[in-house]
Amino acid sequence: MSLVNFTSREITCKIVYYGPGRSGKTSNLQYIYGRVPEARRGRMVSLATKGDRTLFFDFLPLELGTISGFVTRFQLYTVPGQVYYNATRKLVLQGADGIVFVADSQARRFDDNLESLQNLQENLLAHGVDIRELPLVYQYNKQDLPADLILGPDELDDALNFRAVQSFGADCLSGNGVFETLRGISELVLKRLAAGSRVA
Amino acid sequence: MRAVEPWVEGPLAAFLDESAARLTLLMTSAGQVLAQHGFTRAFDVMSAAALGAGIMASTDELARLMDAPPFRALAHQGVHHGLFLSGFDTPQGRWIGLVVFGPESSLGLVQLFFQRLVADLAKQAPTEAPSNRVLGSDFEDELNASLRTLFGQ
Repeated sequence: MSLVNFTSREITCKIVYYGPGRSGKTSNLQYIYGRVPEARRGRMVSLATKGDRTLFFDFLPLELGTISGFVTRFQLYTVPGQVYYNATRKLVLQGADGIVFVADSQARRFDDNLESLQNLQENLLAHGVDIRELPLVYQYNKQDLPADLILGPDELDDALNFRAVQSFGADCLSGNGVFETLRGISELVLKRLAAGSRVA
Repeated sequence: MRAVEPWVEGPLAAFLDESAARLTLLMTSAGQVLAQHGFTRAFDVMSAAALGAGIMASTDELARLMDAPPFRALAHQGVHHGLFLSGFDTPQGRWIGLVVFGPESSLGLVQLFFQRLVADLAKQAPTEAPSNRVLGSDFEDELNASLRTLFGQ
């Protein structure tokens, strides 16, 4: 849940990158970390296995700047995508203000995307959150792969985007679509906050 | 010392005074910072809160798997610093405290005064529901300009 401090005029929001294993959630954060000026970001914390697979979460604090006199900060988290780590995935979702669902565009990963989306819905429900009411955007990663291996954004929208929310084609390694996605979810989260915020 | 809610300041100041803690962080169970002392960079505070909340969430789940009540506290003793982490209930929901202390203090001292901090916070916490103050109408206008500045579009 967002924290708005009217005394020190600070806003802090939590955004979680969710999706199947190896879909590119950590790559999103690594790209953002590499491109945002040092003064606007903190250290990237990665709790990963020796093989660089996310074990618990990646965490990147970002400062968006001052909006209407409020210093606005975002906490970006990823979850471990592997099915085995559902217990930790559920913990990271706690208190999320917005979700970026990172889907793997490869046709052979279609079922994994569906399974992960279903898992997101179940885990949100376990926290008493209805997926239909939370700011959500989709990112269809790996759109740079050969066309015969992947599904296009329209096909993925048909299969996954049941709320018809914003979606972004992306290639996280080169950075295409990464900031567009972050901007999309930031806007949704902050607009929702502007509509009714918690006082501190 | 900085606190999101002014009523936290008194109990926290008393705790810092008595325990001689070097760093103290109070946060929600989701890792949102509510008060801190000793950290110099806002980003470091957020990272510490994310990690502390992660540890507590994991141990709570382990307790649940064992059909046991949540662990009340964890302590780690390092070469130069000790770390004390504890979850507790307040009228405002479940909070977590993270305390880092050096050789000028001790785990026993920190635990003792942390218990008092928890009791003081329970006494000081407002019981009425928060008012529905909202951000100004200019917030949404400025939001688009700020997003353009940050993302260069």
